[in-house]
Amino acid sequence: MDGSILLRIIAGAGALVVGFFAVKALYEEWPKTALEDQVTKIMMALLTLGCIIVLTVALGKAGHV
Amino acid sequence: MATHALPVSDAEYAEVRGHRLVGFLFFLVSDSILFCSFIFGYLYIRAASPGWPPPGVERPGLYLAAVNSIVLFGSGVTMHLAMEAWRHANRSRFTAFIIATIVLGLGFLSGQAYEYTHLHDTWAGSTFGASFFTLTGMHGFHVFIGVIFLITVLLQTRRGVYDQTRYFGLTAATLYWHFVDVIWVALFFLFYVY
Amino acid sequence: MSIAQLQAEASHAHIHPPPQGFIAKYVISFDHKVIAVQYFITSGLFFVLAGLLAELVRAQLMHAHNTLLSPQTFNEAYSIHGTAMVWLVIIPIMTGGFGNLAMPLQIGARDVAFPWLNMFSFWLFPPAGLLIFLSFLYGAPQAGWTEYPPVSLHTPGTALWCAGVFLIGVSSTITGINFMVTIIKMRCPGMTWTRMPLFTWATLVTAFLSAIATANLSAALAGLFIEKVFSVPFYDPANGGSPVLWQHVFWFYSHPAVYIMILPGFGIVSEVIPVFVRRPIFGYKAIAYSSVAIGLVSFMVWAHHMFTSGLSRWVQLPFMILTMAVAIPTGIKIFSWVATFWRGHVRLSTPLLFVIGFLSMFTFGGVTGVMLASVPADIHEHGTYFIVAHLHYVLVGGSVFTIFAGLYYWWPKMTGRLLDERLGKWHFWIAFLSFNATFLPMHWLGLLGMPRRVVYYDPQFEPTNMFVSISAFVLGASMLIFAYNAIRSAKYGKIAGPNPWGGRTLEWMTSSPPPYYNFAEIPIVLDGPYDYGKPLPYANISQDLATEPVA
Repeated sequence: MDGSILLRIIAGAGALVVGFFAVKALYEEWPKTALEDQVTKIMMALLTLGCIIVLTVALGKAGHV
Repeated sequence: MATHALPVSDAEYAEVRGHRLVGFLFFLVSDSILFCSFIFGYLYIRAASPGWPPPGVERPGLYLAAVNSIVLFGSGVTMHLAMEAWRHANRSRFTAFIIATIVLGLGFLSGQAYEYTHLHDTWAGSTFGASFFTLTGMHGFHVFIGVIFLITVLLQTRRGVYDQTRYFGLTAATLYWHFVDVIWVALFFLFYVY
Repeated sequence: MSIAQLQAEASHAHIHPPPQGFIAKYVISFDHKVIAVQYFITSGLFFVLAGLLAELVRAQLMHAHNTLLSPQTFNEAYSIHGTAMVWLVIIPIMTGGFGNLAMPLQIGARDVAFPWLNMFSFWLFPPAGLLIFLSFLYGAPQAGWTEYPPVSLHTPGTALWCAGVFLIGVSSTITGINFMVTIIKMRCPGMTWTRMPLFTWATLVTAFLSAIATANLSAALAGLFIEKVFSVPFYDPANGGSPVLWQHVFWFYSHPAVYIMILPGFGIVSEVIPVFVRRPIFGYKAIAYSSVAIGLVSFMVWAHHMFTSGLSRWVQLPFMILTMAVAIPTGIKIFSWVATFWRGHVRLSTPLLFVIGFLSMFTFGGVTGVMLASVPADIHEHGTYFIVAHLHYVLVGGSVFTIFAGLYYWWPKMTGRLLDERLGKWHFWIAFLSFNATFLPMHWLGLLGMPRRVVYYDPQFEPTNMFVSISAFVLGASMLIFAYNAIRSAKYGKIAGPNPWGGRTLEWMTSSPPPYYNFAEIPIVLDGPYDYGKPLPYANISQDLATEPVA
């Protein structure tokens, strides 16, 4: 059980950190209009979504153990 | 591909770069459809099965996969930061972040390898194994190719192939790496959460 | 915009030095025109092989209980016949052949967007064909070109078949991406979307289908391969898999695939008719936009191949309605093409003859298609010779006839020599008559209950089958006329000059064959290409090509 609590903490903390940087990147890229910038914005948004999913899992609110 | 014999004018480079970007994005779309096809297959078999997972099959460890996911998502952030560093002509920062991305990518692959070897189910052992190993295996293969791509790009920068205005290889590698990341968001959700 | 302003927009790509040596010029060529010829030759070879397999099938079916072929060989023959015709003949000719030959010239470009990938796409093709035919050595798949599991899992050659078809799928996807980027990004200055030739419109939609749909085939094949080789359960119900899953994923690709096989042919028809009746095409926008509509709707009808697979009624109904609906944009085209003839000065040259043959036979095949769209009708006709009749009317009467129209039309551009008109007319008439004699009776055979893909059949069908088989042999023989004509033209064909037919699209504004860089200067387009009677809408064209000759 200890192992999984540790993993959950790492996952949750990591989700917060990575999610923060992903949102920050999205915010900084937002004004750019070139095609590859639009794609980057979509990717950063989806990455943020991924972090939210991992955070939800780490908090024990989702996922099959 | 910047090994053209004749020096290319800026106008010509801009044209060619535009073609490569659109072409590369179409490639990513086509690759996404490949994954979507397999995901459809997984959902179809799952809907047609009386219970999921099939009897006797254990799901893989959730929390290890969650950590592994953060490793991969983190590598997406470091890749973005590497790209930003390049654009701001900060070569040492770029090198640091791209190496971080490679290390995190390899870390993800190691996590997957650990998960694979500690699963009781096998590829051919059940319909769960069939969909899980095929989809995550395909994804892992894409990550592996991505790592090769990144290492290549790193070596290209050391050879001076890219400069401040001509660096499409880097852009392509970044887009590819983000793509691989985003596919994992879907797969993590579909196999571990849903 | 002034001509000077448009000129400034022309491509800045420099003209690379000419390739040197035999290998660089003809083997590992990056020139789209050479690659087109490579595709034509390779597809031509597979057309002969697949055609011989068909003749073998027809020879067996001359008698109700013939002993010419074993049941296994018979099954392998029709399976590889279908496989080869779809993936090694029609799709490569339409995309790699005609798409490469005509599209870059039509848009005033020097080549496609990614010439190396173009070359690579081609070189995947011969190995793919080899793998497919190699499966004969190990027991080729026997479940038709559609290879439904679990039956397809029981033949040893299935893995090779999967690998071969996968490889040609990769080639097709790459070509699709290449052509889309080329058409979107490399049109010459002044060529707005609505000034683009209709063959280029058709190639754009086809390229979209190739790039987007083929990935599903790759997925389906990968699953079949790993199930065959590694026993991973996807499709075999004995292991918890679903055969209907294969059908869904396979047909999600294969229905768009049939549009890949016909849309370029529609494009060829749209090019040939205006030139040989000397009238503007009727309904340019209708034809262009209906191609886009066909491309999009083609993704929504796949389950009409599965009406007998146990789908529920509420699933069958929308597919039935959408399948009937997808005939509408095609109908719009047929009406537009026919309307183009009105008050035209009709020259019944061979390209136009094949187009007229296409118009009648494809319409016929389209009508039987709408009949089959109806679920109750299809439940009766599925798996019978009615389907065989329908598919050959649209694929042979449709695709193959447009392929010949395109070959006769663009042969002078490709080779600098004209094909012989008399031989062309003999080819057309013998092919047209024997084609109908072969496939028309199959409608009755199907309705009376003769199943498809059977080595032995009820003796009541024997006289009709005998008639069909003999007609099929004549149809096969008629192709020899074309082969002779083609070879003969190398030495005895009339020199074509840049514009033997009096066409107005850009490929006719350069020499025949064009220089490797296509145009000395990138052309500038001032209007659409179909306005017969008005001056040519181009600037920057060499003066001696700028007048429209009356052929």
